[in-house]
Amino acid sequence: MSKPEKLIENGIRLDGRKPDELRPIKIKVGVLNRADGSCYFEFGGNKVIAAVYGPREVHPRHQQKSTSAVVRYRYNMASFSVEERKRPGPDRRSIEVSKVSREALEPVIFEEYFPRSAIDIFVEVLQADAGTRTAGINAASIALADAGIPMKSLVSACAVGKVDDTLVLDLNKDEDNYGQADMPIAMTPDGKITLLQMDGHLTNEEFKEGLEMAKRGCVAISEMQKAALVEKYSSQVEGDVLE
Amino acid sequence: MDKKLVIPGEFLSDDINRADEGTYVEDGKVYSSVFGIASLKNRIKVVSLSGKYIPRPGDMIVGIITEVSFSNWIVDIRSPYEGLLHISEFPRRIENTDMSKYLNVGDSIMALVADVDPTMKVELTLNDQRLRQIKEGRIIEVTPSKVPRLIGRSGSMIAMLKNETRCSIFVGQNGRILLTGKDKDLDLAVKAILKIERESHISGLTDRMTRFLKEEKGKQGKEPEKEVEKEEIKTEEHIEEEKIAVEHEKVEEEKSGGILDELLGNGK
Amino acid sequence: MSLSSEIMAELHKDYIYNLMIKGEREDGRAFDQYREIQIDTNVIEKAEGSARVKLGDTHVVVGVKIQPGTPFPDTPDQGVIITNLELIPLASPVFESGPPREDAIELARVVDRGIRESGAIDLSKLCVTAGEKVWMVFIDVHVLDDGGNIMDAAALGSIAALLTAKLPAKRFDLGEDSPVPIRDVPVAITAVEIGGSIMLDPSLNEQRIAGTKLTVISNQKGALSGMQKSGVHPLTTEQINYIVDIAIEKAKELRQKFLEI
Repeated sequence: MSKPEKLIENGIRLDGRKPDELRPIKIKVGVLNRADGSCYFEFGGNKVIAAVYGPREVHPRHQQKSTSAVVRYRYNMASFSVEERKRPGPDRRSIEVSKVSREALEPVIFEEYFPRSAIDIFVEVLQADAGTRTAGINAASIALADAGIPMKSLVSACAVGKVDDTLVLDLNKDEDNYGQADMPIAMTPDGKITLLQMDGHLTNEEFKEGLEMAKRGCVAISEMQKAALVEKYSSQVEGDVLE
Repeated sequence: MDKKLVIPGEFLSDDINRADEGTYVEDGKVYSSVFGIASLKNRIKVVSLSGKYIPRPGDMIVGIITEVSFSNWIVDIRSPYEGLLHISEFPRRIENTDMSKYLNVGDSIMALVADVDPTMKVELTLNDQRLRQIKEGRIIEVTPSKVPRLIGRSGSMIAMLKNETRCSIFVGQNGRILLTGKDKDLDLAVKAILKIERESHISGLTDRMTRFLKEEKGKQGKEPEKEVEKEEIKTEEHIEEEKIAVEHEKVEEEKSGGILDELLGNGK
Repeated sequence: MSLSSEIMAELHKDYIYNLMIKGEREDGRAFDQYREIQIDTNVIEKAEGSARVKLGDTHVVVGVKIQPGTPFPDTPDQGVIITNLELIPLASPVFESGPPREDAIELARVVDRGIRESGAIDLSKLCVTAGEKVWMVFIDVHVLDDGGNIMDAAALGSIAALLTAKLPAKRFDLGEDSPVPIRDVPVAITAVEIGGSIMLDPSLNEQRIAGTKLTVISNQKGALSGMQKSGVHPLTTEQINYIVDIAIEKAKELRQKFLEI
């Protein structure tokens, strides 16, 4: 695909969104049987699934921490998730994404409750469409809650970027490919930033404005995450769910 | 309402003195630390809807031997931490070389958590007359956090289950449950326990279980060559109730089956 | 219901074994009965073909990617099939990260064998320029949830994905897109032997107890395209003959129900 002449026309993006609008999001909680917690997350054309196992025994043993759990995060893309088939297995990109995603979630996990154990987070990208790492973090955060892992809060993530000299929320594939900047962030509901990456070109002012825009995106996602968790239990029986 | 479904980080109260399990305190406020059911009546606590068993001294559990080492049996207790049963905690004096003759890999035991140290080394014992190796019966598993609901207020739920199903039921704090009884009775008890596990967060559980057991036993009675007398004395009221129950179950089945269907959006 | 422990309680093994003697299975199925099967195709728009299969609690997604490549020197006018399967740690507490090990490789090769040997894909029609350029068909099986019998789910998903797959000619300036030329629809049926009884479509627990699995892949004509005995326990000739007979019948049934377009 070649670069479209314009990515924004009359304030509207190629996919019909306004600059500060998120792509459609669909969330399902508890989709896997074997995992202790799981979540399927669709974010525009991204389709990711997250599973949490643990706390459980640590293998290999030398990774154990005597006073807290070790959190491990594996981000992986299915070979068929992208236009050009991807070779299976980890690469430098997926290793970096795994690291920063883990660090985005660790601050909210009460790791000290489970010494000598492991909390394993697995994120599989089944279809990629710009923003897979943020989709993965959103899914993983829900899967952690679904697994019963004690946390300070959920974590929400989305990206902001610059296309045609305009700041836009949640880049799509074309905007990601041909835009001028991309900045994924993750955030707790009380506004603490747990992931921040940026590449491209932004002025200091644009960065600050962009960060606020991304934060508003995270707040909106946070509400959807909560609704999805509540949905898992309230959908089982109508009426008065709780005693 | 003094109970509600909460997610991690949800604000619960300003009264930090009442903060209990499943919560944390920050800046003078109480928040939920887990996804679960919060009760705010006296103590503020949140019972998680899922999660692993974390052993505490005094817990009675059901374990499965995974390894026989020189002087310990290593026991799976459905926890991030394995249980250790030292040879000296076996009720009789035995030789190290004979350990696997008494308890071998795959064997199940009812055990007591004797001690848990700060590094989560878990020591088990069989030195208690309530404890023994499990030689017969059926073992099923439920979410450990749902064990209190299964037992019920001062044991009311489990007492009813035992009574109605004629099974002997041992509930391990680790969510492993040992049932012994006749096959038909066991089937019913298993069904009932799994229903409790599924619906523990929905109000009116006790009434629903009473009704469920009555209905299920009614069904059993209807099977051919079985207790013809019961069939005859069935009142219209019973039949009506059964109908409702069947319909109710259908609705539930449809709903619970739906979660996976939406995965990948079905290509829509 | 599966117990969480990696090690299975002897008590639970006995329970399943005793049920088997009475002619019953833990989940109430007949010995020759499959768990509920659901197949949805075109679930991954980025792939040239895709299918999601749910076989009871087992859940796999298969994506087919197709792109031009160089043929093998000994088959210069034939397309290429490459099948890959990974037991990713998301799908089971016992699967580990890292390159595929023998179980995953065995599964991938048996799926591949069924498709290749049944002649499911007309490879001669995948030739663009003999000796230079042919279509390479990558079948990638992604296991999401292991509830037992990944084999049959993977095979079903692979052929279902191929049936809907397109050669992306337009994208590579090689003319118009067209369907992958499919000539046959192989179906894999897996049986286990427990204490002398034969059961189809083993659940996770049955698989744990069973000494041996036998997978029988048959084509539309009811002929065999591939077989694999997996596991250390030997099978008798009678057992094998019996499995082959019911597998061919069962394959017909599944093909008719899920794969006829």
